[in-house]
Amino acid sequence: MKQNRVTEIMDKVESFPGIPGTAVKLMSLLDDPDSSAAQIEDVLRYDAGLTANILKLSNSAYFGMMTHIGSVKQAVVVLGIKRIKQLVLTSCIGAILDKQVAGYDLQPGELWRHSIAVSVAAEGLIAELEMPNGDDIFTASLLHDVGKLVMGGFVQKDLEKIWNAASKGVPFEAAEEMILGTNHAAIGAAILKRWSFPEKIVDAVRWHHNPEDAHEHSVIIDIVHVANILSLMIGIGLGFEGLNYQLMPSVTERLGLSTSNLETVASRTLQVVNELSGLLEDG
Amino acid sequence: MGKNNGTELMRHIVVVADMKLGAKGDLVVTHALGSCLGLMVYDPVAKVGGLLHAMLPLSKINRQKAKENPFMFVDTGVPVLFKQVYAAGGQKQRLVVKAAGCGNPLGKNEMFKIGQRNYTLLKKLLWKNGVLLESEAIGGTDSRTVYFDIASGTVKISSCGKESLL
Repeated sequence: MKQNRVTEIMDKVESFPGIPGTAVKLMSLLDDPDSSAAQIEDVLRYDAGLTANILKLSNSAYFGMMTHIGSVKQAVVVLGIKRIKQLVLTSCIGAILDKQVAGYDLQPGELWRHSIAVSVAAEGLIAELEMPNGDDIFTASLLHDVGKLVMGGFVQKDLEKIWNAASKGVPFEAAEEMILGTNHAAIGAAILKRWSFPEKIVDAVRWHHNPEDAHEHSVIIDIVHVANILSLMIGIGLGFEGLNYQLMPSVTERLGLSTSNLETVASRTLQVVNELSGLLEDG
Repeated sequence: MGKNNGTELMRHIVVVADMKLGAKGDLVVTHALGSCLGLMVYDPVAKVGGLLHAMLPLSKINRQKAKENPFMFVDTGVPVLFKQVYAAGGQKQRLVVKAAGCGNPLGKNEMFKIGQRNYTLLKKLLWKNGVLLESEAIGGTDSRTVYFDIASGTVKISSCGKESLL
């Protein structure tokens, strides 16, 4: 029975939408050290919506600079390739993540707001801890819950059983696994594998609730773990399951995190999330 | 404060780090209380009330944010809520005060007990000012939505698909 469910769920992963073509083209262009701002602009010329979103994000308080950015070329020069990659991904992934999610009871736009919150909180934690900010923390954070889009319908069907298990003190993703044979983190990782994302991003998504089960510890897994729970605590993307997730003390120890780090990041995250999600909603 | 047109019911949504007052037939709602504190203050005679959705206990963590928005923190938000209810006609001796939220994730990590710290600070503030909590739905891992009906003072909590009166 459980195995049947896993097969059904994996079938859904197979038919899950691919990442938009322009994004794939841009990501490989942005990964190529020889590509120029002009080439990037050429690809974007055919996607007015994406261009508009990139310019809006480039001029936001979070991503932007003091100068007004009027063209993609200028954005590439002023913000740099790393930020442009994040902007492309943020803009492309929004359309996928802004849907209503059954099972977890997330209203339209709420999973998207949560994804942005975790990305902003993750970068905030990195800055607070004075750690180097790799390219991948923002991306992994943005995509950590993509598996909920596939799992939602299945969770909805068996919600009573899952909730019965979870209400006995079992974390929600473990309850999903007990009843459905898999959980939203594993399914998210399967989607990202199909999208050919780098292994460290796939791993961060796979282990965002269970960093101790990863084959090796990494800052990116630990940070996504903390940023996710922090965002839920402040009510962004808080679904049916509430705060029924376990925070691993070993993670905060490894990161050397303090209460003040945590609360400072929380206090800075909210406004940015409102700004960024508002920008993209306005079309 | 929301305007009432005759008997028309106004629905005010209180977002995170926010506070709204309501009068007469208004309904004041706040969604998805996790670790945040939801505090409802009501005067049944003047029929005015306010709902605060505060995120963190102490404003010293980010003075600038507290200046921009006192409702982000319990220590700055609670006094402003009471002052605004008084300004709208509420009187201290008649106030009915209820609290919800202040949840915590699973696990024994003290650092993440923001909900517990929010609640402890609230109790301290109320005690110092001689105000008692009438009722509360506090702690645990639930996500709570609060519906505060200003006509009757009724506070309804919705959580995990179930509703209850506070």
